[in-house]
Amino acid sequence: MNPVLCNFDCICLWILQATVVDLQEAIHRRTKKYYPARQRLTLPLQPGSKERPVVLNYKKSVKDYCDGNSGNLTVVFKDLGPQVSYRILFFWEYLGPLLIYPIFYFFPVYQYFGYKGERLIHPVQTYALYYWCFHYFKRIMETFFVHRFSHATSPLSNVFRNCAYYWTFGSYIAYYVNHPLYTPVSDLQMKIGFGFGLVCQVANFYCHILLRNLRSPDGNGGYQIPHGFLFNIVTCANYTTEIYQWVGFNIATQTVAGYVFLVVAAAIMTNWALAKHRRLRKVTCFSLFLNKLFPILLHTLKEACASYTINRGFNSGFLSDSSLYQIHFLGCFSIYVSS
Amino acid sequence: MAFFSLLRRVYLTIYNWVVFFGWAQVLFLALSTLKESGHQHVYRAVERPLQLAQTAAVLEIFHGLVGLVRSPITATLPQIGSRLYVTWGILWSFPEVQTHVLVSSLVISWSITEIIRYSFFGVKELLGFAPAWLLWLRYSTFMLLYPTGITSEVGLIYVALPYIKESAKYCLRMPNKWNFSFDYFYAALLVLAFYVPGSPHMYQYMLGQRKRALSKSKRE
Repeated sequence: MNPVLCNFDCICLWILQATVVDLQEAIHRRTKKYYPARQRLTLPLQPGSKERPVVLNYKKSVKDYCDGNSGNLTVVFKDLGPQVSYRILFFWEYLGPLLIYPIFYFFPVYQYFGYKGERLIHPVQTYALYYWCFHYFKRIMETFFVHRFSHATSPLSNVFRNCAYYWTFGSYIAYYVNHPLYTPVSDLQMKIGFGFGLVCQVANFYCHILLRNLRSPDGNGGYQIPHGFLFNIVTCANYTTEIYQWVGFNIATQTVAGYVFLVVAAAIMTNWALAKHRRLRKVTCFSLFLNKLFPILLHTLKEACASYTINRGFNSGFLSDSSLYQIHFLGCFSIYVSS
Repeated sequence: MAFFSLLRRVYLTIYNWVVFFGWAQVLFLALSTLKESGHQHVYRAVERPLQLAQTAAVLEIFHGLVGLVRSPITATLPQIGSRLYVTWGILWSFPEVQTHVLVSSLVISWSITEIIRYSFFGVKELLGFAPAWLLWLRYSTFMLLYPTGITSEVGLIYVALPYIKESAKYCLRMPNKWNFSFDYFYAALLVLAFYVPGSPHMYQYMLGQRKRALSKSKRE
C-alpha cells in the first residue's frame, strides 16, 4: 500500500472551509473502496526527517493545516487496508473461548484423544466452567455496553491473529482443566483462587466504568489520566486487575497451560500499559500523580480502594518506565522502593 | 573502547574459523564415507563433529543478544532451533533414521552452507572486508541449499515419526499435580506444520538480504 500524494488545489476554495471529515468523504466518493476508516491522511515529511508524520485530526478544519495563506495543501494518503470495528473484532475474539470451553466440559471429546470410559467431573471443574464463561460473557457485555473506543476500527488481519490467540489458548486450557485424568487442588486452595479471581473481576469491571466516564459517547476525549480507585496507584489498573483475575483462576485450577497463558497475557498487557503510560506522559504537562509508593502501599487494600485522589504531582524526570513496570505488575501488594 | 572493539574482532575471528574447520571436517568425512562405504554409514562417521559444530551455533544467539553481531535474533532463532531439533531431537534420539539416505543430503547441504557462511564472516572479521566472490557465494548458494536442506530436515522428521510414536520417548503423561502432558509425537507434527509458513519466510528473508548485499557491493 504505497502512499499516494493527493493535491487538492483544484478544489481549494471549497476545501478551505471544509473539515478533514469532508476531505475524507470526498476521497471516499472518488474511490468507493476507500471509506474514511481506511484512510490515513498525513502532512508530507521533509525527506530525511526522522519525526513521525502529523496525522490529520478528523475534527479540525483543513484550513488549520495550510501554512500561511497558501491556497493549496498537499496531503499524503495511505490505505490502511480493510478495517473492522473494534466491537466486531472483540466479539469474535471472545466468542471462541466462550463456546469452545463448554464443548470440552459437556461433550465426550476425550474419547477422540484415546480416553475411553466414564469421566468423573470434580466440583472444581464445574466451578471453573462457570468462572471462565462468566469472564468471557462479561467481556462481551463490556464490549457492547461499556467500552468507548478512541479508534473506531482495526485492520481486518487482526481478526485472524487475535482469534487464533484466544481460541487456541482457550482450547489448550479447556483440554487440561476438563481432562478425565485432571487432578484437583485442595478445597481451600480452590476457594481462595476463585474468590480472589471474582474480587478482581469486579474490580476490573469498576475500572472499565471509570475509563468509560473519561470519554463522551461519540468517542471524544482522547487520552486522559484516569482518576480514583486503583488508578491512583497504577496507570492501567484495568490490566492489573485482569492479570490478577487470571492468577486467581490458575490458583484454583492449577494447570501449566493456564499459567503459560497467564504469562503471555501479562506480557502483552504490560507492553500496552507501558505504551499507554508513555502516551499519557506526552499528552499531559505534569506526569501522572504516582505518589511515593511507601505511604500508599502501607495502606490496606480496603483503604486503597476508597476513591480519594492524591494531588501530589511529580516532574516527568522522576518517573521512569521501569518504575511503572514494577507498579503495574505487582499491583498494590508490593513494597516498592522509590526515590 | 578501542580495546573492546579489537577484542570483539579477535574473538569473532577465532569463533568463525574454529566452527568453519568443524564443518569442513563434516563435509570431508561425509563425502569420503559416501565414496568408500555408502550412505548408511555417513551418520556414524560425522556424528561428533556435526554435533559439536551445530551446537556451537547456540553461541550465536548470545552474540546477537549482547550486540556482538548485527543479525536480528528473529532470523537466527528459528534457523538454529530447527537445526538443533533435527541434530539432537531426531538424529541422535532415534538411531533408526541414522542410516537413511536423507542424512547424507542433509549433512552435505548444511556443511556447504556453513563452510561458506563461516569463512565469509571469518574473513570479514579478520581483514575487515570479504572478497566479492565469497560475498556472492554466501548470498547465492542458499537458493539451492535451502530447499535441499529443508527437504532433508522435513523428510527425516517424517521418517522418524513412527519410531517417535512407538517409543513414547520424551513424553509426559497425566495424571500429575500440574495437570500437564507432553507428547513428543504431536510436538513433531507441530514442528512439521511450522515448516509450512516458516520455510518460505526464511527463503524470502534471504532473498531480501541478497538483494541488499549485492546491490550495496555494486555501489561501492
